[in-house]
Amino acid sequence: MKLALKTVAAAAFSVVLAASAQADDWTPPGPIKLMIAFAAGGGADTQARLIAEDLEAATGWEFIPEQVTGKGGMNLAMAIKDMPNDGSVIGMVVTETLGYNMRAADAGVSPSDFTGIATTAGFQMGVVSLSSKGWNSFEDVVAAAQAGEELRFGVMSPRLADLAYLLGKAQGVDFNIVSVKGGRAVMNGVNAGDMDLGFMAGIQGKGVAAGDLVNLASALSEPLRQSPDAPTFADLGVEFNSDGAFVFVGPGGMDPEARDALAAAIGTAISTEGTKSNAMITKAFGGPFIQTGDALQQRLQAEYDEAGALLQAASE
Amino acid sequence: MEVWTYIQLGIAAVFQGPDLFAIAGFGVPVTPIMVLLGFLLGIAVGATPGLAGPMAMAISLPILISIFGFSPDALLPVMGFLIGIMKGATIGGAVPAILFNTPGTPDAYMTTLDGYPMTQAGKARKALKIAHVSSASGDTFSDIVLILCAPFLAVLVESYLDLPEKTALLILSLAFIASVIGNSVGKGLISMGLGLLAVYIGTGEDFYPRLTLGSQTLAQGFPIATAILGVLIIGEVFKSIEDLWHDHRRAQKRPSYTEVGDQHVHRADLRRIAPYIARSAVIGTAIGALPGVGSTLAATLGFTTGSRRHATKSPDATQFGHGAPEGIASTEAANSSVSGANLIPVLSLGIPGNAAAVFLILAADSIGGFNPGPSVFKFTSGSINPELVMAFGLFTIMMLANLFNWTIGGGFMRVVGYMIHIPKHILLPVVLLLTFTAIYVQEARMSAIWFAVGFGVLGYLMRRLGMSPLPFVIAFILGGKLEETARQAFAATGGDAWFLFTNPIAAVFMALAVTVIVFSTRTRKEPAQ
Repeated sequence: MKLALKTVAAAAFSVVLAASAQADDWTPPGPIKLMIAFAAGGGADTQARLIAEDLEAATGWEFIPEQVTGKGGMNLAMAIKDMPNDGSVIGMVVTETLGYNMRAADAGVSPSDFTGIATTAGFQMGVVSLSSKGWNSFEDVVAAAQAGEELRFGVMSPRLADLAYLLGKAQGVDFNIVSVKGGRAVMNGVNAGDMDLGFMAGIQGKGVAAGDLVNLASALSEPLRQSPDAPTFADLGVEFNSDGAFVFVGPGGMDPEARDALAAAIGTAISTEGTKSNAMITKAFGGPFIQTGDALQQRLQAEYDEAGALLQAASE
Repeated sequence: MEVWTYIQLGIAAVFQGPDLFAIAGFGVPVTPIMVLLGFLLGIAVGATPGLAGPMAMAISLPILISIFGFSPDALLPVMGFLIGIMKGATIGGAVPAILFNTPGTPDAYMTTLDGYPMTQAGKARKALKIAHVSSASGDTFSDIVLILCAPFLAVLVESYLDLPEKTALLILSLAFIASVIGNSVGKGLISMGLGLLAVYIGTGEDFYPRLTLGSQTLAQGFPIATAILGVLIIGEVFKSIEDLWHDHRRAQKRPSYTEVGDQHVHRADLRRIAPYIARSAVIGTAIGALPGVGSTLAATLGFTTGSRRHATKSPDATQFGHGAPEGIASTEAANSSVSGANLIPVLSLGIPGNAAAVFLILAADSIGGFNPGPSVFKFTSGSINPELVMAFGLFTIMMLANLFNWTIGGGFMRVVGYMIHIPKHILLPVVLLLTFTAIYVQEARMSAIWFAVGFGVLGYLMRRLGMSPLPFVIAFILGGKLEETARQAFAATGGDAWFLFTNPIAAVFMALAVTVIVFSTRTRKEPAQ
């Protein structure tokens, strides 16, 4: 009898131990499908793949990256929505996907249908032109437009197109807003002379440092790190900005344990010096920017709610 | 940055890339090995009737990408392998044409006319050697023209063409391709229209996916690999299976011929064929530079002009079609010199001219980091333009492949004669299986396989109706770019709906597009009357 009791107690204890170990150390039920909303080979795609590599090395989890591109991340959002929410499927988009794009797409979903896991990096979004244009400040651009020059403004998303329009409106000039796919296309267009100025989200860093390109304004709520003297959108009379970040999301109602384990692993990977993703994010996006848990979920919801105001302002 | 610096960087990118393995402490770089493997595979594939270079390129591409990944390091090894196949298949096609009177590739058909009679006369090995020398010369010449021309053309395009003109240029290219490929302008236009329709499903700038009938499966559009491999490869396999069904009773035993006499190609032989090679190389290069015209026409033109010259200059010698070495030389130099020149529109404009170029663009697209087009040839001040380094890397790869061609190509060509004995009823299922595997490796979802089967049926029907699938494929590749450029041109001109006609250069391109279609319709009708 005693022996039997002891056995039961031991068994019960081991179950408790196992359960607590699981809470500390969540493991995915199998390989994790990593959906990437960006074209293969670009900066954003490289970032996602490097994070996956670092996570594999650090945790032993297995990732299967897959491209689900198009529609400003909405294709990914619609695809991931009904996937299992046990942490076996995650996706990388930008906060804009769950904000402006989701609002504009009007596809019957909202951020509450998704689980925000972690942001990884923000953008150094500037309004950029070739320095050979001779513009030193945004006032020069306005002066050129007022003198009758037709200016082409390159943008890479509908939200940025709205912002460019509002920027022109606030300054009393009209831009011909040309939308292209991805920041690299804006840079190529500006370099080739197809566009006069455009939004670039960090890709301009090297060119600005070399003196080929110039940051005329910061499209963020704060000044650009590289060109702190360039005015922000608020300084230029636009009440909206392009603040945003790369973000990992999962299907709605994800198990908090899985969500937090993934967020912690991603946070550690990108903020540990010497990892591949840390090096890449520091070089291309000015360092990691990590937001997780409920704060992230609230931010996503807020961006979605505020998108209505921007859509409204731009349609006036 | 000077041109010379880029040449050095390009060569370094090929030879100092990641090492495949090390021998006695010296790393063996992966790119040259991939070029060599691709080249050998290309010869074998070219020598197998029923297979063609583009087929092998199509199947290898997804597999290569799954091995090398999407990093910038992957570009040169993958492109090296594909370019190797392209060049290998060109010379490989002559092998069965000469030995068995069966062209391995369509453009080797003219080679059978003189090659097989030489085999019957016991001169098979000599015929193969002549084919090799001519093919390698034509190919090398064409590559040199490419290297000299592409950068200048690209710079010219970039400095004179604005968005409206670029849109018009794309329309002109599509019109040209639809008119010259195949034997009917109408069918070419239909094929192109279908390609545009397919590529516009699910794409576009709106957040709401268009033409999807509400299906989430179609929302991402058709993956480019399923459309291209489906129409080009699976369609061809379906058609071949049907042909096999019709032909299977007509199997015949192949006669064999013993070799007689001297098989060496002497200096005197080279002197005799050199003018024919030179003439055909120029013809092939000129034709190759026009998108869509293709190597079969080059081979035909090379053969006929060579034939005319031969009949007047040396009326007493063996005439073309009766086993003249000059005939082989004219054909092979012409069809081989197409491949390099065909990359001129690819690298300078991003417009593919034939199936092989389609897969090179596809490779660059899938891996990323290299966008064929005018922006490649930008000589930046201060910083290095990585795309330009890649371009010079590609030139290096082509020259390296030529080197392999000159040194070991001839020898290898003579040992792949047995590829003809692979029966089609084994070959075709293998190709089918490999294609599906390749598609699944790249897309990793079952719907991609169904898309590919659907496009395969489309490709089969097009072939049954005598409609070339190539305009479909090229339209599928250029469709997205056409829409983007047109939208951008519209926006950039401040919403001018007539942007294609208000600008003189664009208007000229549009007029040419219409002229090409009208002119080809006229000239096609005349012989029929």
